[in-house]
Amino acid sequence: MTISRGACLIAAFVLSVCADSGSGAANGTIRGRVSLQPGPVDAVPRVTVTDVVAGRHHFPVDRRSVVYLDPAPRAAFDAREEPRGRMDQRNETFVPHVLAIVAGTTVDFPNSDQTYHNVFSLSKTKSFDLGRYAVGRSKAIRFDRPGIVRVFCDIHSHMSAYILVFAHRYFAVTDPEGRYRIDGVPPGTHSVMTWSESAPLDSRRIVIPETGGEVEHNVAPLRR
Amino acid sequence: MLHMLIPARLVRLVVATVALSYGAAPSNGWAQGLPEKPLRTPDGRLVVSVELTGTVGSRDDTAFFNYTDYERNALRMLRLGTSAAWRPAAWLALAAELRSEDLEHPDVYAAYARIRPWRTRALDIDVGRIPPAFGAFGRRAYSMDNPVIGYPLAYQYLTSLRTDAVPANADDLLRMRGRGWRSSFPVGAATPAPGVPLVNGYRWDTGVQVRWQRGVVDITTAVTNGSLSNPRLRDDNGGKQVSGRVAMRPAVGLVIGASGAGGAWLARSVPLAGAHPQTAVGADIEYSRDHWIVRGELVLSRWSLPMPLLPASASAVTAVGRWVEGRYRITPRVFLAGRADHLGFSRLQGSDRAIPARPWDAAVTRVEAGAGYYLQRNLVARATVQRNHRGGGRVANRTFVSAQLAYWF
Repeated sequence: MTISRGACLIAAFVLSVCADSGSGAANGTIRGRVSLQPGPVDAVPRVTVTDVVAGRHHFPVDRRSVVYLDPAPRAAFDAREEPRGRMDQRNETFVPHVLAIVAGTTVDFPNSDQTYHNVFSLSKTKSFDLGRYAVGRSKAIRFDRPGIVRVFCDIHSHMSAYILVFAHRYFAVTDPEGRYRIDGVPPGTHSVMTWSESAPLDSRRIVIPETGGEVEHNVAPLRR
Repeated sequence: MLHMLIPARLVRLVVATVALSYGAAPSNGWAQGLPEKPLRTPDGRLVVSVELTGTVGSRDDTAFFNYTDYERNALRMLRLGTSAAWRPAAWLALAAELRSEDLEHPDVYAAYARIRPWRTRALDIDVGRIPPAFGAFGRRAYSMDNPVIGYPLAYQYLTSLRTDAVPANADDLLRMRGRGWRSSFPVGAATPAPGVPLVNGYRWDTGVQVRWQRGVVDITTAVTNGSLSNPRLRDDNGGKQVSGRVAMRPAVGLVIGASGAGGAWLARSVPLAGAHPQTAVGADIEYSRDHWIVRGELVLSRWSLPMPLLPASASAVTAVGRWVEGRYRITPRVFLAGRADHLGFSRLQGSDRAIPARPWDAAVTRVEAGAGYYLQRNLVARATVQRNHRGGGRVANRTFVSAQLAYWF
């Protein structure tokens, strides 16, 4: 994952010295499918011999991928309104499991469960601890820096999620079938990155023609 | 100086474990350095977790404030625990934990089958070496369930009472005040040996337990081979212990519990052991909110003795342990924690009437406070200072500084 401040600065520098390849040309779309190899998609709690539960004790994880451009085209740095995101807590699971946002987004963490949760992260991108709060309450955090934020619950060891914070808007989270679509991509050559929790980062070069249109980009990353 | 604080083999094992863990970690830039998820079979029916804690501190071989029933120092210990849960059917789970302390052969800390006869009812039957039904602290089996490094006195401190030897009179018992790490009495086993705590926090008992949860109420009752002071794999006195706890959660974050237990505690080898029970009652409370968690617990234990002490009416002795503890997370990585703890004993009149009645064992007061730092989610370093005061024995006051590294997945 290279969506760091450094990457953004480099991207801005490159854009400043290069001609605007998209001037007067039509924007395009990158779409495709990320096919993850099958594997366990459940989270299992750490074994605590005081509270072993008979029967199935898994928490399904809606495993998604994120496809994004890196570095981003100049249009990525257009000013936008401050968006808001949401990561819910239901049935001892973060919903969604993967959330992609632009920097500056405030994410709400409502507790829609039957028990206490304590959302926290020790990530360098954003370190926070929301403390324990009850059902029906919500707390929010603003994410200002690009990067990956791993989110956990201090009470439930199996609860985890990812928040990917981008400095631009050229990204998409795959749907349950692995499909994605990034619109408004300027003509030119772009590096398309595919991030998945269970696979190494995939990087490919894609060319959007001057005439715009759709470019299909399918990925089948190997499981880590 | 350093070798007095840190046993060399402990250092070697911690270094080797951390190195191996790094080697096993996935090689990506963003992931945490150490494995974080439990091992599992693809179908998820078998899950294995590991906990490693290394605790270093100054020696305690003159005051013995922190010695456990296995004659180890709780503030100077390496503990490796491996837990496994196998769920072969919807109604059945098998759980076990092996623990090795100070690199010695592993003991079976837990090994039981949990049966859920009705799928729609939260009623479980446990058979084997089962979680304790009594009290709240005993069920917190892992290092980070404990806000500080030391154990509560009621669950760790060795009184002078032994299960295989008893005093012939009050003077025999009073003579052992503050000497629980090496106690001896004229009746029963002749060799000096450690006494027992009010509740043993280092071993689980063996038997059958039923747990039922409905709404805000959680009821547990168990029949086991040993006693609170001396949990056992095999019965050594022909008597069973009955214990139970009722816990209520009247509000989110609040738990209030009441416990009771009674059962034979003396080994069959003690003359006139008979049906002399250890009986105990307990009360506990926990409240957590935001970045706070606060707990309090009280344990009152009464041991019946076969020999009439002086005066003749005193054929039993009691002890009360009570403590409050708390933890506050001041940043995502840093927390503060502390515990104030007291263990008191009933008074006993010796044969010399000129000396007023005294507690049958020396009362102990302990205050422990410290701070911890999350190196990553499942790797925590912490350090505490523990101050002990004992109202008798050859060492009355002692302060210990200890540090611990705890890692689990």
